[in-house]
Amino acid sequence: MTHGLTDAQFIDKVASFLWPYYIVLALMNGVAALYLWRTGQMKTWFSLPVPGSGKSVPISNVVAWVVAAVGFVLLAAFAGNSNVSWMPSMPLSWQEAINQASGPVMYSLGTTVGLIVLFIFRRFFVTPAIAWTIWNLMLLFLGLSMTDRDFFEIIAKPDNVPIVMLVLLLSFFTWLATYRAVINDDRMDRGEPPLEKLDNEKVLVWPDLVYTELICMIALTAFLIFWAIALPAPLEEPASSVKTPNPSKAPWYFLGLQEMLVYFDPWMAGIVLPVTVVIGLMAIPYLDFNREGNGYYTIKQRKFSYIVFQFGFLEMWITLIVLGTLLRGPNWNFFGPYEQWDAHKVEALANVNLSEWFWRDLLGKSLPTAPAGSNLPTQIGFIGLREWLGIALVLGYFIALPPIMALTVFRRYYQKMGFIRFMLMANLLLLMASLPIKMVLRWVVQLKYLIAIPEFFLNF
Amino acid sequence: MADKKKMSVADMLAAARKTDSEGDSAPAKDAAEEVASTPPADAKPAAKSSPAKSVPKPGSPGRPSVADMLAAARAGKSADAGSVEKAPAKKAAPKAKPAAKAEKKTSKPATTPERDTASILAAARKPERSGPMSKAEAAAKTAVPTAARAKPAIVAPPMPVKPDYAKPKKARAKAAPIEERRTMMKVGFWAVGIVTAVWGGAVTAFMFPNVLRELPSKFKVGPPDAFPPGQVQTKFKAQYGVWVVNTEYRGKQELFALKSVCTHLGCTPSWLEAEQKFKCPCHGSGFYIDGINFEGPAPRPLERCAISVASDGQVEIDKNITYQEEMGQWSDPTCFISV
Repeated sequence: MTHGLTDAQFIDKVASFLWPYYIVLALMNGVAALYLWRTGQMKTWFSLPVPGSGKSVPISNVVAWVVAAVGFVLLAAFAGNSNVSWMPSMPLSWQEAINQASGPVMYSLGTTVGLIVLFIFRRFFVTPAIAWTIWNLMLLFLGLSMTDRDFFEIIAKPDNVPIVMLVLLLSFFTWLATYRAVINDDRMDRGEPPLEKLDNEKVLVWPDLVYTELICMIALTAFLIFWAIALPAPLEEPASSVKTPNPSKAPWYFLGLQEMLVYFDPWMAGIVLPVTVVIGLMAIPYLDFNREGNGYYTIKQRKFSYIVFQFGFLEMWITLIVLGTLLRGPNWNFFGPYEQWDAHKVEALANVNLSEWFWRDLLGKSLPTAPAGSNLPTQIGFIGLREWLGIALVLGYFIALPPIMALTVFRRYYQKMGFIRFMLMANLLLLMASLPIKMVLRWVVQLKYLIAIPEFFLNF
Repeated sequence: MADKKKMSVADMLAAARKTDSEGDSAPAKDAAEEVASTPPADAKPAAKSSPAKSVPKPGSPGRPSVADMLAAARAGKSADAGSVEKAPAKKAAPKAKPAAKAEKKTSKPATTPERDTASILAAARKPERSGPMSKAEAAAKTAVPTAARAKPAIVAPPMPVKPDYAKPKKARAKAAPIEERRTMMKVGFWAVGIVTAVWGGAVTAFMFPNVLRELPSKFKVGPPDAFPPGQVQTKFKAQYGVWVVNTEYRGKQELFALKSVCTHLGCTPSWLEAEQKFKCPCHGSGFYIDGINFEGPAPRPLERCAISVASDGQVEIDKNITYQEEMGQWSDPTCFISV
């Protein structure tokens, strides 16, 4: 997209996008300040003493957002200047640090830890002022990073624009839900009804709902038409059965699945796990025995369901999509957001199967192989001998762990759910957990498959 | 919504009753006026609440149904309107309740009785009728004893002659012979059959597109000495989907053909000369120069094709026959040429 542009031309191109972008951000902050002021939600955070005069200036939220708006206006002025040296951009040292932190282990561990921190300190993070600050920082990060050629190349690709929107929209809606849940939890602690129960006047399907839907439909259609005109879908060369684009990416909504395929056999990641996801979602109403939390946001009353859902959705689905879109480059290697997509990047990824590790590295023997020309039972026997450790581990994981869970951490769940329902839930949970476990094993100890029986296309 | 000042059903009925009763005969007026004067009194609270509430409750005084009114009007000449009104009110009102959920349903009985009063009366005169009856019928039934005594002279007007379209089909369609329908059916089935056959044929033809789908599976790639040791010949990949490799495998120098299909999910890997490996762009599987998988998710090595030296001294590759390492097939002498 930016191939063949000189640096100056590239900066020109980015500047023509960036200065309106910063103006929009300034307007956004200005409108927020105006809204807070007009609705009387002005809060003084602290008083700034003016040196010499003995007076102090109250710094309220309105003042802060006005200052932010002015800052964005300044950024817009610098960006519109189209002078390379004036261009506001991410410092190179930061870019390096972010590139370093975008390795697979750091990325997955970081997102997990980040989500845990967000969850534990949710009361702090949902405060409108804090949330608005984070929102501004996210958008500022996007703007500052745009001036990097490699980052721009990835972000501005028409295929990837939905991912940027997805990240922003999801942050907003997750905040909204958590914010209301925190308020509701507080209210219910005080014995008050949740917010949703205060305003539960019923409205009619016609016209209230149908009108809303109609308006949404028209607005979305207009938006899609605008989008299709502004960012046309990229057309590539004619398909060829012997030539695969490098990297070869699925549509964005399947990138989580494609990432899963890196760690599992195609049968497993392409068929068994997706089907289990669907079946598991269908099973939720039958597994859920918690009658609380219907029709209002709450976290406290449905902690387990909330955590499982947010882990499965945000961590196992969304972050994998973001990873696949932004961090996977040629040859499906990992690339930092500011890193050049070099098709010849060498990564040491020599993977071993558990059986190879056990027989070769641990015992120093060669893998047990059936003598040539032996019959099927003998072959199967030798395969079983070769893979016994992996088979034992996997069976132990799925058969021995649920009873242990029932006796320890999930004792109350087992008592409430009964044997069959608990076993179903435990196995679904374990299957879900198997993905991060395999990811970590792949990255940390270069494990390929626990059970590797390529003779029968059975790998796990 | 509910707070808008619309005319509620009760209001509308009341208004309708008022105009009706004014044009009525004098004896009916007493009863009708009594009826008409009451609804506005409780119509106001009803207008504020939801429409469903404007329906009279069973037995509530002063809120007779339309059927009651009619009955009262009919019985008007024999006086004692009050007693007539009370009696049917109890019978008719419970029936009105389920129907009263929607506005339309409540307004329906208000119009129908006016149309066929005569027929209702006629029907009511019959001793018994099974099946459900309308409100008006129910009212008329109870009202009949007094009404019949007071007005024995009412005779139902003659029913109009039935139009052609209302006559039973037998009489009308007798002219059409049965044979014509059979012919019609035959033609129809044949047409459907022919269309289906044509469609089926088209779909079948679609399955065999007018292109050569498969690359030639058996082909010659030149003399064996055109492939120097340690080299991967990639020029046959685009045309035939194979790499011709001359390398050392298990201590022996071999010339063999590797199929350019990833054993993970079937993408086409590319040969990276600098890294000396085949690398798949879809999920990052990597293979050594001899086709053995070593990185990424590919569970087994690349597949070999049958290779031989033809009678003219050229290397001939047959893609139809493949050899899998994990099945121990690479020791088969037809899958490599020793050099």
